Amino acid sequence: MEWFWPEGFYTLLMIGVFAFAAFVWDMPIAVAMAMAAITGAIAAGEGVPLRHQVEGEFGYVDTILIIATAMVFMKVIQRTGLLESIAAWVIRKFRGYPVLLSLGIMFIIMVPGMITGSSTAAVLTTGALVAPVMMELGVPMLQTAAAISMGALFGMIAPPISIPAMIIGAGVDIPYVGFGMPLLICTVPLAVICSLWLIYPYVRKPRDEASLEAQLAKMSRVPMSLRLFLTVIVLVVLLGGERTLPLYWPSLGMPLSFLLASASGLLSGVRWNPIETVTEAIDEALPVMGILMGVGMFIQIMTLTGVRGFVVVSALALPSWTLYLGIAISMPLFGAVSSFGSASVLGVPFLMALLGQNEIVVASALSLVASLGDLMPPTALAGIFAAQVVGEKNYFKVLRHCMLPALLTVCWGIAVILMAKPIAKLIF
Amino acid sequence: MRSSRGTALTAAALCVAVALICFVSARSFLAMRLPDPVAPAQGFERYNLSHWFPALKGSPGDSDVYIQDSGVPGGTVFIMGGTHPNEPSGYMAAVVYLERAKVTKGRLIVMPFANATAMGHNSPQEASPQYFSLDVDGGTRWFRYGSRATNPVYQWPAPDIYIHAQSGQKLDGGSKSNLNRAYPGVPDDSLTQQVAYGIIQLLNKEKVDLAFDLHEASPEYPVVNAIVAHNRAMELAAMVSMELEMAGIPMRLEPSPVNFRGLSHREWGDHSDALAILMETGNPSQGRLRGKTDAALAVTGKDKAYLKAAALGRLFIPYEGDQTLDLRTARHVTSMKMFMDMLGDVKEGGDVEVEGIPSFDDMMERGIGAFLSPVEDDRFDGK
Repeated sequence: MEWFWPEGFYTLLMIGVFAFAAFVWDMPIAVAMAMAAITGAIAAGEGVPLRHQVEGEFGYVDTILIIATAMVFMKVIQRTGLLESIAAWVIRKFRGYPVLLSLGIMFIIMVPGMITGSSTAAVLTTGALVAPVMMELGVPMLQTAAAISMGALFGMIAPPISIPAMIIGAGVDIPYVGFGMPLLICTVPLAVICSLWLIYPYVRKPRDEASLEAQLAKMSRVPMSLRLFLTVIVLVVLLGGERTLPLYWPSLGMPLSFLLASASGLLSGVRWNPIETVTEAIDEALPVMGILMGVGMFIQIMTLTGVRGFVVVSALALPSWTLYLGIAISMPLFGAVSSFGSASVLGVPFLMALLGQNEIVVASALSLVASLGDLMPPTALAGIFAAQVVGEKNYFKVLRHCMLPALLTVCWGIAVILMAKPIAKLIF
Repeated sequence: MRSSRGTALTAAALCVAVALICFVSARSFLAMRLPDPVAPAQGFERYNLSHWFPALKGSPGDSDVYIQDSGVPGGTVFIMGGTHPNEPSGYMAAVVYLERAKVTKGRLIVMPFANATAMGHNSPQEASPQYFSLDVDGGTRWFRYGSRATNPVYQWPAPDIYIHAQSGQKLDGGSKSNLNRAYPGVPDDSLTQQVAYGIIQLLNKEKVDLAFDLHEASPEYPVVNAIVAHNRAMELAAMVSMELEMAGIPMRLEPSPVNFRGLSHREWGDHSDALAILMETGNPSQGRLRGKTDAALAVTGKDKAYLKAAALGRLFIPYEGDQTLDLRTARHVTSMKMFMDMLGDVKEGGDVEVEGIPSFDDMMERGIGAFLSPVEDDRFDGK
């Protein structure tokens, strides 16, 4: 009881107020998070700490800018007709090779995450590109969103760039060197299984060729040309330049890169209304941006009142045989705040608790488990945007289809931790 | 997810509310940029880092540097605090030297707040206190509790990946704002890299013999209550570590890893003739396991979450309920004094003699506030 009081009470109070405001009063999630944070602060005798509330929100300012600008980019490539034209081309080219097509689609989804370390970037760029392809090939809407979500997570963790692995490594002064192979071991088997599970069963089914051809003709009404691809080319050059020539290329940051790429859409040769497009993009992104601000406030108050420490030490206090269970449950759950936050707040202590295994392999596996936080409501950055990309309003329907792949991901992550020593012997 | 739509009136009301929130919180944030007043001991002359790297002149990274020259030939020692302003014993130990030292042989250079802009803000979601206070003779001294990173107002956005210019080592993008990942620095890069470059210039131009970078670490971090020494400084560090052990103030000795680049203990040693030393004490107020976060935690280190973590065997320091700022600062102050006392043994002509530094027992008994001078501090209107 001495351990539980008062931080355990604050924990329950904050969760309770959030749940009540969100589900009983039907408040927007962002507002419910803010109400829970304020209640927690008042209960802990901190009053309404305005400075803390504002400061907490700033933890997500970069993410919010990326979301807003990536959403603008996605809308632009929709408006110019690029999305549908690419989809039609891919289907025509590869529909005879369903296994290759399934694996290829998964790889395409992963690429932006591999390069940028962001699952959101993966969902909103190539995720948005392949979504119409997949649905046209017969993959149901929810499975499409689930495949995009999972692919984005695996892309975020796969090398060369895995920010959660970097964060966990930096927490114990391990430089980001030698992570390539462990991260591939963590992600490639899962990516293959998920593509064969969520995509292949649908794309291998025979289809009515005439109706498909008619549909493809409609989709490819805007002819593929270099000008049409300008937005994607600009984005690849801007993001790729920073990665490949980091010492010479100016660091523009993802938001500016997305904006410049979107602006180049004005030269695509297809007429579209920029104001209308940007308004629509921001309108759609606004609820998620609001959630992030609410979560930022929430986590700052959690830290202020001692709730964060209570949660972390309680997880570490699990008996040794349940430590792995603790990792499997607490890291994805805490990822509801953000997967990067989970990697930092829980990943580092868990890695320290597992010192003596191979730290690079363990950190890679922990980053894989932490990545599942991007499926966890209320933030669920990968999941919510994947739902939005396919046009599904209710994210929870998508989450249902992510459950088994997510469970598999957790099991694989734990298995890699348990096998860290033999894996390290094999690869180092 | 539900979207809420309102009227023009609700929009206007929200705009007014946002403006009010911005006004009130901005005042609080901006106030943190005012520097902490210090009272240098007699004999110190004040410079700025731009004295050694003029490109920093007038920039927010142009930190204060104080030099006391005894006039008697000897070595030169450099003490730097405030690399990470959320690690207060580092800069408090530097301030104790600044306000107490009387150098009788050689020279002493003190840079108490190395990353000046990091002193002026807090890291989001860490809920750190903005200030903490200490009782001093005849009043109260206030010090800022800052952030690990350069203020993003001066260095933003962070790249997705930070690539250390000299080695190509990759780190998360946020590390580009970490002064202790920036050495030897780059003269025409971001502010943090420029400050790092300026410090290397100082070490070289002032022919520093022994250089300290004072830090704190989370109690759950393996390198804590520790001395990290560059390979050239290992002999001296080993002597000091043994001496400290005998004095009942254990500080573990760790060699500076050769493959982890950008850190002071590695790059200062590689890019100057200084014997490079980094020291870490155990600070519960920066750890991931900490409970309620406030100024009291920074000063007392009392935390029930850490007590439980200690019982679970998760910590790398002996923790029995507290870890006071007095203790942490005294560790740094005493360790540095021992280094200086032995410097002449390993570096001919490198002797530096400093008087007036309180002993470990004095600081534990009377608190470090007893060894700080009262100052006029306009920030708190005499409070």
